[in-house]
Amino acid sequence: MNLRPRLSAIAVAALMVVATAACSPGPGEPQARTLTVMYQKTDSFVALENVLKDAKGEFEAANSGITVELEPIQANDDDYGTKLALAQRSPETAPDVFYEDTFKVRADVEAGYLLKLDEHLQKWEDWKQFSEGAKAAGRADDGGIYAVPLGTDTRAIWYNKTVLQKAGIPVPWQPRTWQEILDTARKIKANDPSVVPFNMYAGKGTGEGTVMQSFYELLYGTGAALYDEKDRKWVVGSQGFTDSLTFLKTLYDEGLAVTPAEALDANVWKKVFGEWLPQGKMGATVEGSYAPSFWQAGGSYEWPGYATEMGVARFPTQNGQEPGGVSMSGGWTLAVGAGTAEPDLAFKFLTTALNKKNALAFDINSSQIAVRADVAADPAYQSANPFIKEVSELVDVTHYRPATADYPRISTAVQVATESVITGKQSPDEAGAVYDQTVREIVGDDKVIQK
Amino acid sequence: MNPKGIRRRTRLAADAALAVVALCFVLPLLWLVLAAVDTEAGHEINWPASPSFANFTSILTPDLLFRPLANSFLLSAGTACVNLVVAVLAAYPLSRFQSRFNKPYLYAVLFATSLPITAIMVPVYGLFVQLHLLDSMAATIFFMATTTLPMAIWMTRNFIDSIPLELEEAAWVDGASGMMGLRTVVLPLMRQGLGVVFIFVFIQAWGNFFIPFILLLSASKQPAAVSIFGFFGQHGAVAYGQLAAFSILYSIPVLVLYALVSRGSGDSFALSGAMKG
Amino acid sequence: MSAPKIRNFASLRNIGSLSNVSSLKRSTRFLPVVPSVVLLVLFLLAPVVWSFVSSFTDVSLSGKSARNPVWVGLDNYARMIGDPSFPASVWLTVVFVAASAVVGQNILGLGLALLMSRAGRAISAVAGIAVVSAWILPEIVAAFAAYAYFNRDGTLNQLLAAIGLEGTDWLYSFPMTAIILANLWRGTAFSMLVYRAALAAVPRDISEAALMDGAGSWQRLAFITLPVIRSSIATNLMLITLQTLAVFTLIWIMTAGGPANASTTLPVLAYQEAFKFGDIGYGTAVASVIIVIGSVFGIAYVRLLRQERP
Repeated sequence: MNLRPRLSAIAVAALMVVATAACSPGPGEPQARTLTVMYQKTDSFVALENVLKDAKGEFEAANSGITVELEPIQANDDDYGTKLALAQRSPETAPDVFYEDTFKVRADVEAGYLLKLDEHLQKWEDWKQFSEGAKAAGRADDGGIYAVPLGTDTRAIWYNKTVLQKAGIPVPWQPRTWQEILDTARKIKANDPSVVPFNMYAGKGTGEGTVMQSFYELLYGTGAALYDEKDRKWVVGSQGFTDSLTFLKTLYDEGLAVTPAEALDANVWKKVFGEWLPQGKMGATVEGSYAPSFWQAGGSYEWPGYATEMGVARFPTQNGQEPGGVSMSGGWTLAVGAGTAEPDLAFKFLTTALNKKNALAFDINSSQIAVRADVAADPAYQSANPFIKEVSELVDVTHYRPATADYPRISTAVQVATESVITGKQSPDEAGAVYDQTVREIVGDDKVIQK
Repeated sequence: MNPKGIRRRTRLAADAALAVVALCFVLPLLWLVLAAVDTEAGHEINWPASPSFANFTSILTPDLLFRPLANSFLLSAGTACVNLVVAVLAAYPLSRFQSRFNKPYLYAVLFATSLPITAIMVPVYGLFVQLHLLDSMAATIFFMATTTLPMAIWMTRNFIDSIPLELEEAAWVDGASGMMGLRTVVLPLMRQGLGVVFIFVFIQAWGNFFIPFILLLSASKQPAAVSIFGFFGQHGAVAYGQLAAFSILYSIPVLVLYALVSRGSGDSFALSGAMKG
Repeated sequence: MSAPKIRNFASLRNIGSLSNVSSLKRSTRFLPVVPSVVLLVLFLLAPVVWSFVSSFTDVSLSGKSARNPVWVGLDNYARMIGDPSFPASVWLTVVFVAASAVVGQNILGLGLALLMSRAGRAISAVAGIAVVSAWILPEIVAAFAAYAYFNRDGTLNQLLAAIGLEGTDWLYSFPMTAIILANLWRGTAFSMLVYRAALAAVPRDISEAALMDGAGSWQRLAFITLPVIRSSIATNLMLITLQTLAVFTLIWIMTAGGPANASTTLPVLAYQEAFKFGDIGYGTAVASVIIVIGSVFGIAYVRLLRQERP
């Protein structure tokens, strides 16, 4: 009797497991009739999960035999983006429907991750409810639409009225220039050094928050821009860029913002919403229109007094020049994976998740600015957020991020520049020069414009 | 001064020095223990105002604790099993039969033990995408097994070398094949050694964060090392007590296993003893 | 954690020492080695090759080059040289390895082993457990503990305050010091175990004889003990260098490479470039550099062990 072949056979069989695992049907393949939905969930962001759970119930009831598998990813925005991209690269793990940041849409379309939705959208009755801006948010370079927004947002100064009043600053407060921000912040600090007078994010820790809720408000108020839409080139060497860095440097050097160490903590925003503003330890910060979602009933940092305690002001331009304010808009979308085996079902699920009822629930619970006309007109929506009028008006002065495939990497370069400046590693001029060099490396010399 | 006096003095000095070092090494761990029983825990070490197991009870949920631990177990046990089978199969002929192929193979294995695994994670991710292995538990097990395989082969071969050839030769004379000799003579004799290999591979896989972090994407497959990272990222600022409690529960199995190995083999550096010098 | 490597070299002596058993078929007797070869080739060799290949492309996580990566030749390596963060990262890696492993773990590990050979049995056992626990814990747990320890409100600053010194935010102001000390804390056990084993093997009569000749303890250490265990020292240095070169989780949890890249060692840089910034081509180029550095040490290690053979 010879055992040798048998033992080897076992070993070979063991190796086969890998191969079998590789060939076994992945989620979303026909025989199982499953749709996988990948989205972000954090302890302070469950609004989307709730909506998707509702949509799953509705969808499964209406389409018997089909299972919707919800795949939450517990991560902050940055790590969620990484995990989603990691999953998208492989057909086995690519979800059928997913939650996608608007600024990544074009890059991911170029990567071939997103399904073109035009044909489906034509047949969707509700599509005409979406505003033009919302439709544009999902459009790629080829003119096709690849993603449908859940809502949009703007950015503003959120200030604690009591803290300002204690320092002798009359409310409502509306700074006209950067200098007025500094003056006010210094007053607050002089009055009570334990208070953080005026916070603006910086560094890589807060990721996209650093640029959306801080740097771009500065940059676009100087008359400079990140990207020249007309020439389709990236702007380098602008005075506005260094001025913006200098402003951040002043805030951090004078201790008007949080400490640099705190700023680099990816969770700093939780303290802003959860501790400093409610406890009157922070004068003001630049944050998204979704801020009330954290404080309203059911939010992660419930604060019954927020509607009267907090005030909203538009972020001023550098020297008060026209149009007198700056805001940034972004927002998230739902999209369908290009490799899905069930494009029709996937789109159907997307429309279920974005129908009026679900969109309304999402926009209310995460304090989004509605992109559907019928949601915007709904009394429940209008009464849910006491600041909805102010933040919606900022749409007039808002800017969008350059919708190009290179954008995510440029954004990182900006974050690096702010981090170098607030940590004192580089002067604004040096950090600006490094940024210029990085941009040239990323997009090539022919795609930059010196201003 | 007489040698005995010198020896006593050095001994006292050595005792004192060791006590200081031991204290320094324990200090960072003290926080884990104290924070775990303190519902108000922050970064600092504090004697909890009202010690309780509330942190532990609040994390005893399937999603938070049991499933990740089950996944960790599956990954680690799977890795250890694959290692044992493959390493024994490879080590036996290498130990028993001569060939030109032995030396280069063993040197290659030795070289492979020194490959920095974190450095190859980026290409491994690319490879897994290409081979459609991403998010596959089985593939992750085989990959993790491969990272510890060179070490396992070395250890196993040393164990087999230490078993006298005469025993098998007797079996061969009785008509047994080579592999039967392995099964009936060698394996029973090296049971303890294999246990050591199993446990060490298991411990290593249990503590591994980076490999499953990159290769396993769905939450339902992630081991404790990865889920604890997500937990920390999400709740870090508010729930240090729970984080510490989680860390302790997650660490207990490896501490027990290590104690098992070091005790079973007589002293705390079991392995060097178990290895043939 | 790779204690088993400790005495690997000794067994090399046995390669091929066993007699040929000719009654067995030559053709099939090495068949059982095949699975190990398949695994090693598929999961270790292939990624290494893959790393070098994709380091010559612009493959990325998103954008055009995710779908159609283009061959860019040496662009990634050229960018590396021009990019100030790469040389900085190499330097930080050298500092990290030299300070925490070559000097720190190595000397502390040897010191502990020497102390243990002189100290009482009970205190040696307790100290051994204390040192080994930091090493046996899952890396991420050790990283959390170290993170809390060096935090602004952490244990270290509490201790400093107790003796009247003002602490600082270690992870922010001195990130390298923090991760070096953390790695020293975590990794010393390995060197300690190696040296305890090595010292235990030093024949007692040699040092006793020296003692009788009136040699002081430092003299005995320098002229008797160290020369006897020199091969263990060399092996240990090689192994802890390789282990420390690959440290990722500890740094990632404690500082994530920050602030402003002040603690971005090569593995952290490779991860950031590839996964955080989505530039897989550049990330694999950095990874390839680490592999080359690792290989140099790996080859040196193999040669060292070969020389050990009688």
